[in-house]
Parts: sequence; structure tokens; C-alpha cells
Amino acid sequence: MTITSQGEELILDKERALYLPKHQLLAISDLHLGKSAHFRQAGLQVPATIGLSDLQRLSLLIEKYDPKVLLINGDMFHHGLNTDIEIFERWRMQYHHIKFLLVKGNHDKLTVADYEAMHIEIHEPSFCLGPFCFIHDAPQNTKEELYPISGHVHPGVSIVGKAKQRLKFPCFYFGKKHAILPAFSLFTGLYNVYPKADERIFAVTPKNVVEV
Amino acid sequence: MDQSKTPGYKKIKQWLKANGRKPFQFQEDAWQHYIAGYSGLVNAPTGFGKTFSLFLAVVIEGLNESLEKNAKNKDRLQLIWITPLRSLAKDIARAMRETLLEIGLDWHVGVRNGDTSQAEKLQQKKSMPEILLITPESLHLLLAQKGATTIFKKLKCIVADEWHELLGSKRGVLVELAVSRIKGIQAAAKNESLRVWGISATIGNIEEALEVLVPDERVKRIIVKADLEKKIRIKSILPDEDETLPWAGHLGLKLAYKLLPIIKKSKTTLIFINTRGQSEIWYQHLLNIEPDLAGQIAIHHGSVDFELRNWIEDALHTGQLKAVIATSSLDLGVDFKPVDTVVQVGSPKGVARFLQRAGRSGHSPHEISKIYFLPTHALELVEAAAIKEAARNNNIESREPFIMVFDTLIQYLVTLAIGDGFDDKIIYEEIKNTYAFKLILPEEWSWVMQFITSGGDSLSAYNEFKKVVKDEDGLWKVKSRQLAMRHRLHIGTIVSDAMLKVKFISGGYIGMIEEYFVSRLKAGDHFRLAGRVLEFIRVKDMTVVVRNSKQKNAISPSWNGGRLPLSSNLGAVLRRKYNEALDQTHQDEELDAIYPLFLLQEQRSHVPRNDELLVELINNKEGFHLFAYPFEGRLVHEVLAALVAYRLSKLLPISFSIAMNDYGFELLSETEIPMDESIAYEVFSPKNLTEDIKSSINATEMARRKFRDIACISGLVFQGYPGKYVANKHLQSSAGLFFNVFSDYDKHNLLLRQAYDEVFYQQLEEPRLAAALERIQNGAIVITEPKSFTPLSFPIKVDSLRENMSSEELEQRIARMKAESEKIK
Repeated sequence: MTITSQGEELILDKERALYLPKHQLLAISDLHLGKSAHFRQAGLQVPATIGLSDLQRLSLLIEKYDPKVLLINGDMFHHGLNTDIEIFERWRMQYHHIKFLLVKGNHDKLTVADYEAMHIEIHEPSFCLGPFCFIHDAPQNTKEELYPISGHVHPGVSIVGKAKQRLKFPCFYFGKKHAILPAFSLFTGLYNVYPKADERIFAVTPKNVVEV
Repeated sequence: MDQSKTPGYKKIKQWLKANGRKPFQFQEDAWQHYIAGYSGLVNAPTGFGKTFSLFLAVVIEGLNESLEKNAKNKDRLQLIWITPLRSLAKDIARAMRETLLEIGLDWHVGVRNGDTSQAEKLQQKKSMPEILLITPESLHLLLAQKGATTIFKKLKCIVADEWHELLGSKRGVLVELAVSRIKGIQAAAKNESLRVWGISATIGNIEEALEVLVPDERVKRIIVKADLEKKIRIKSILPDEDETLPWAGHLGLKLAYKLLPIIKKSKTTLIFINTRGQSEIWYQHLLNIEPDLAGQIAIHHGSVDFELRNWIEDALHTGQLKAVIATSSLDLGVDFKPVDTVVQVGSPKGVARFLQRAGRSGHSPHEISKIYFLPTHALELVEAAAIKEAARNNNIESREPFIMVFDTLIQYLVTLAIGDGFDDKIIYEEIKNTYAFKLILPEEWSWVMQFITSGGDSLSAYNEFKKVVKDEDGLWKVKSRQLAMRHRLHIGTIVSDAMLKVKFISGGYIGMIEEYFVSRLKAGDHFRLAGRVLEFIRVKDMTVVVRNSKQKNAISPSWNGGRLPLSSNLGAVLRRKYNEALDQTHQDEELDAIYPLFLLQEQRSHVPRNDELLVELINNKEGFHLFAYPFEGRLVHEVLAALVAYRLSKLLPISFSIAMNDYGFELLSETEIPMDESIAYEVFSPKNLTEDIKSSINATEMARRKFRDIACISGLVFQGYPGKYVANKHLQSSAGLFFNVFSDYDKHNLLLRQAYDEVFYQQLEEPRLAAALERIQNGAIVITEPKSFTPLSFPIKVDSLRENMSSEELEQRIARMKAESEKIK
């Protein structure tokens, strides 16, 4: 689905990603790489293949949009270094022509050298581009001219219908003052957002993105 | 050999005689059989000394041995007494200690459960008492200790008290597993003398109850049944002629004033209320309508602080209280002599539970138990009549034991691994001999082992999963102290929401409330707990800090207790009572009281006969409602509703919201529901049943809901303990997430399968469903179209717990819902 925000064209992809054609930039948030391995290290039986499937989805997106830049809007890595990260390092090598930018989130705690080794450019606290400013957690009261796009909360929306029906989806949120991206990783929960007037919510369904 | 010639036996008889008592026949039988090496089950009504039938048996043996050999045993533990409730242990321990003192046997009685202090546990570790009273959870915690295998060497007997209560839950499986391990430990030491006994109230499947506890056919087994009958008088509290009861609801305050004279003329009254939240409201209400009761009544439930509960129990013993409002926390065995009257508010949903609660009054042998039933809404009067009849005919439910619960098995294996470790070959043999896992396949066992040792994944080259690992001595162990600590904190199978302790700002604990409830409170808000109105100040260190408030009005926390489904025994009686009520061919005063309501039902719609299924179609601004009334109990209705919804949704794309209660179910849709007589016979057909049920379970959230408990018990999701543990944020997840992940990436996960099996086998009772559908096919289906809600439909309509099913395309459904919500705006 294509929308216009701050005078620029944005593509909202059902794989929980945002594409900025003008800048050939693909943006995702809350990738949480290494979460499954981290859980497994702690004795929780998360299927090991789940981290892999997030990377496969990302590969498909890269093929689809052929971006110059991949921006991760925080929480790229869930915890420390682990086997999932080793897999990522090898996966990363296929895409040496793409620049990886990371806007640091609360989970991103690797050392500078670690990021360098994986060819990831770090931006802290934000990365600004055109009218947008990517930042992991939305600033409380922004005086900036730019429109912040954040992640962090893993937004979800409930649609309530007649006859006591209710559906829940991850979503993109575009408010007056800022926007929030859905969490890219499938191994994440949802936090409900409630739209007010003048705010746009785009639900991510298995087949496409629809405005609600 | 005749045991009555042994010195111990003689001594007990002398002691009883000196106290002017004579043992009941069943007690002597139990002593004889125990000493002759039998395992078994004692089945006797409450108040006849069930405890003494087994406790004294072990004492007799102890006396014989100490008189014969005068030897001092280093391994002191003789008897493990498993109780389902913490409150039971204290009273039983007191009775045992008094008896031992009088007999002059130098044995210690220890209590071990969640309320036991750390110092006492440490003392026990140094030197076990001869008799240990313990909950199933604490017994597993004992197995999780280093050196656990050495404690049980000389153990003579394990008693599972109130076994009927444990049997129908996963806690029963905990007992089975612990028994299998202790037997295994003794077998390794060439000791085969352990006897396992249960004490059970009467249930429908008493033979099976024994089979579950003592599955080994080579062991001598017997059921010792007391030939005694407890007299029970049941009385319903009826509205006066000019009063009407509400159609729905579960509070019943309207008739509360009728309790006052009952409380007044009784010594002490126990008032049983089905949920903790409602009990708080009742407590306040009774004080409001009769302020003189202040200081004479108390409230007792599982979320009230331990000290306070202790105080209430002591006050009950000494007769200081006129009345205590209680939930199931006071259901079992405790013997409060002053209690002479019991009141049940709202339907107890089963005959066994009702009789059990009645037995709380007139506890001494040959006294009559008195119980009053106070209906909370009109239709419960019919239930009262049905329960009275079922009780009269001794038509008591079975408790179905759980089998193949992999979540509990996984928890158990990790428990062993944090203790002394385990040998998988030995444990496999042990669990294969339990009732719960006798059907386990070798490949299922390997899956379970793989799940705890390699995280359920053998293919991955990178295996960072190290929960249970093989030690140098060849035993499987948990090496990480952190993992061990986390596991210890969540041993058990009772899953509840995270609870926080509530404390006065000036000090002193009041009880616990759910974290979810706290999260909605703001500073200055008022809520009720343990009969007090409290002002919320803040949450600090996992503790809710409050101060006393003079305010009268406050919200009551809604503790998410499970809903009790109507038992199948009652369902059948209930259907008949409906006929009798309308025909007035009965002797029940309850049915007279409800007659006007039946006339209204008949006038607006129809009262279904025994061989009829009533379907009501009601159309109003909420949408199109379909109500059907098979009277099969909530659990069966949940599955039946999903089945009918599924079959209807095959006819055309449609979405339903589903609700149900014990009488029937509702399908609610925003588009017209296709229904006529031929469709009705079609959707209520037993044809193709198994397959359609499977599809309908898949299409709803039933299995996902079952998975919540499974994820907690198996250790995938950590609940946290009040004030004891702050969960690691980066390890937080939810059962729902795991359910999705397993469904997508690990279809053969046995825990996932267990969730579906639990719906299919425990909830569904396929034979019962097939019989119901057969009955419907052979009878008449009556379809009516009432203009407004009927007395039967209204209680279902207001039920908030709902299920969804849809055969519409998701995108279309969203578009339609959006369009509708805009219309509503």
C-alpha cells in the first residue's frame, strides 16, 4: 500500500516494512535477532528455525525493492552475541553492496567493534532523512521540525465490529506528531494502540496492508 | 495373621478405651489391611475419623517395631501425608501431635508447604520428622533438593488425603509421579514394603481412583468402605411470593436478608461463595444490612494473607465467629466443631461438591449436616431441585484422571534434574508404570527427552540449548543455578495470573491481588480485599502498598478463577426438572417458585420437553442471535456451539461470536443466520462428527486457551511469584506467542498436540456429545422467533466469555466491520 506523508511517497509492506522510493531506503524496526537463541540459552524451547525465517523474509524484501540502504530502527539484536548472530553475519555477506544503518534501541548492546565487524553503521539517537527522523522510541515532546518515525512498542490494532466481533493485527501508525512501525520479527507480542481523530492506522493482515 | 494381637494394636485400643471411644469397623479394617501389607483407598463420609484410619495404622506399626526392637532409626521419615490444601495440614498436624503425646510415641510431625518458614525447612533437611504433611507441589520441591533420594529410604507409607480432589486435576499426576519415584528409590535399595493409600469421599469412579493411585497390579490392593451414612438436610432459600429473582447474574444479594435469621439461630455458619470477588462483596453487604455482625463475621479465601487465614481458622475452632464467608479455600476436610450450618450461594455445579460443603457442618458422627441453598438467579432454582434429587439418589459424579499430560512430565523431569539427577532408562520404566503415562510411546518419550536436553531440535548445527545435560556420572542434571532457581519457583500445576502481595504502609500483609488488576489502579483508588476497603498508594518492590480507608464504596478485584461447568449427571436431571416444572408434576418447592418464569418462557417462546431441542432466533440491534438449549453443561456446549457454527459457516461465508452456559449456547452474527427445520437437523447431526469436531476446534481458540496452562506448567512461560522474583524483561513472552510459533515452525510439538487433546478428550466427552446429537435427531427440534430475549436466552446473552468463528475472507470481513463501525459513529 502506498501512502503520502510529509509530502513524500511511502510504501507500507505487509511484511512489516516501510520503503522510501525517493531514497531507495528500506526501513524495518525491532528485528530482535538472536531472540530465539537467547531464549534457548535460558532453557526455553523456542524453535531454532524462527530467527532464520525472519532473515528469509528480509531477503525477499531486499529482492523486491532492491534498496541501497537498509535501515533498522532499533532493537536489531535482542541481547548479546549468540549463534543466531553468527548466522546473521554470514547472511550479511550476501548483501555487501547494501548499506546497513542501525538506529540504536534499548536492546542494542553489542560493542562498537562487533557492529563494525558486521558492517553496520550506528546512529544514535536518530537518523534523519528528508522530512523524516528515524528514532527507536518516540520522543516525549518533540520540538524538532522533522517527523519522527519510531518503533519499540510493537504496535497492534483491534478492530471491533457489530455482533461482538474483534480482530487484532500488527499495524503501522501515522499520527499527527509521529509514526510507529510494526515490529519486524514474528516472535514478538503486540501492544494495542487506539487511533484518535486525524490519525491513520494501517493493519497488517496476512495478505496485504489495509487502512482501518 | 490376626493383627489385633500385636502390642501396638492393643495399645491403641487401650488408649481409645481410656478416652471412652470405640473404633469404627472401617478403621479397624484399614489397620488390619495396612499392617498386612495392603495398599488401598479408604472411602468414608466426613466426620467419621478418616484420618485416624490410616494415621493410627502407621502408629500401630511404629509401636510394634519400637516395642519389638527398640531400635532407633537414622532415617526417620515413616509417613508422608499429602494434603491438597495448606489449611488442612495445620489441623491434621495438631490432631496427630496430640494423639502421639497421649499414646507416648516419640514421633515428630512436620508440615511442609508454601507457608512453611525457611528455618523450619532447613531444620527438616537436617533431620526429617517421622511424619511429614505436605502438598503435592512441596513434595516435588523436596524431590528437587540435592540429596533427596536419601530421605525416603525407610518410608513406610504415603497417604493421599482428599484424593478425589486431587484426582481430577494435574496435581493428581504430580502425586502419581512422586509416588513412582519414591517407589523407584526404595526398589533400588531392595525395599518393597512401601504402602500407598488414598482417602476419598464417594465419587462415581472409586475403583478407578484406586487404580490411578496404585497402578501396580502385583501389589495387594483394597478399598475399605465405611458402611456409614451421613445425614444431610438440604433447604432452598426461596423468594417470597411477591418477590422475583433476576433472570441472570451471580451475586444473589437480593435474598441476603434471609440469611440473617439463619446466622442468628446457628452457632457458626459457613457461607460458601463461588468466587473470591463475589465473597468480598457479600461480606460488605452483610455488614451493611446488619451492622451488629461487625467483629463476628470474617472472610476467608485463597488471596487473604496466611496469618489472617490462620487467625480465622483458629477463631472458627474456638467458636468466636458467628459466620465466615469462604470460597473453596474451606471446602475440604477441616473439622470446625462449632460449625452447625452451611450456606451455598449460587449453584455448586455438581453433587459431589455440594455434599462436600454440606459436610462442613455437623462434623461429628451421627450429627445431621444442614445446608441452605441460596439461588443467585431464577433458573438456579431448577438446579437446586436437580441437585436435591441427585443427592437423594446418591448420583455422584466421577472425577476423570488426567493422562498423557506432557507439560507435567516435562516439569517433573526437570525437577529431578535439579535434584540428584536422573537415569532416563530407570525413569522411563517408572513413568510407564504410572496410570497417567502407561500409554506413552517410545518415540514420545524420546521427544520429551530431546525437548529438555536439546530444546526439541536435533538438526540445528548450532545448539546453544543446554537445560538438562548429562553429567559425568551418567545422570541427567541441570547445571545452571539460575535455571534451577527459576524452575523451583514455578513447580506446580496451578496456573494463575501473576499475583502481588498487598501490604499496609504502616506494615502488615493483607493478602494478594492480581497484577492485571493493580495495573488499572491509580493512586487514591479504592478496592476491597479481605473484607477491608483499601486505598491504593503505590507499587513498590513487587508489593502493593495501601492504607485503610473509611470509604464505603470500592471496586472488588475480579480474580480470574476458573468457571465450573455443570456436571453431566446434573444435566440429565435438570432436563427432566424443566418438564416437571411446567407440568407441575413434582414435589419441589423450588419449582413452584419458578413457575411464573416458565409461563413467561412458554408465552414468549417455548419450554423444551425432554425429547425436544429448542432453538430461538432473535433479531435486534446487536445482530442476529441463535440460541439452542441442549442442557449438556458448559464444556460440551462450547464444543457443540463451535460444531454448529462450523457447519453453518460451510453453507455461506459468515462470522460468529459464540457464548455458552450450562443450559445452552448462543451464536451471534451480523448477517442473518440460515436456519429452518431441515438445516437444524443437518447441523445437529451425528454424521461425520469426529472430522467436523476437529475442524471446528481448529477454527476456534479453544486449543490456544488450553495452551496457556500448558506453556506455564512446562516452563515455557514464567509466571513470577509475588514479591519473590522480578521476571527478566528480555525473557518475557506469552503462551499465545509460543502457540503461534509452534503451530508455524514445530507442528509435531507434543505440547501443542496436548492442547488439542485436552479439548478433544477432556472437554468434549465425544460419547456424551454423540449421545446428545442422537437424542436431538430422534426428538423434535422446535424453532421459535421471540420478539425479545426470553428467560432462557438472557443469561447466555449477558455472558462475556466469547469464542469466534468465521468463514469469511479476512479482507472482506475487515472491510465490513469498518463500514459498520462507521455507521455506528
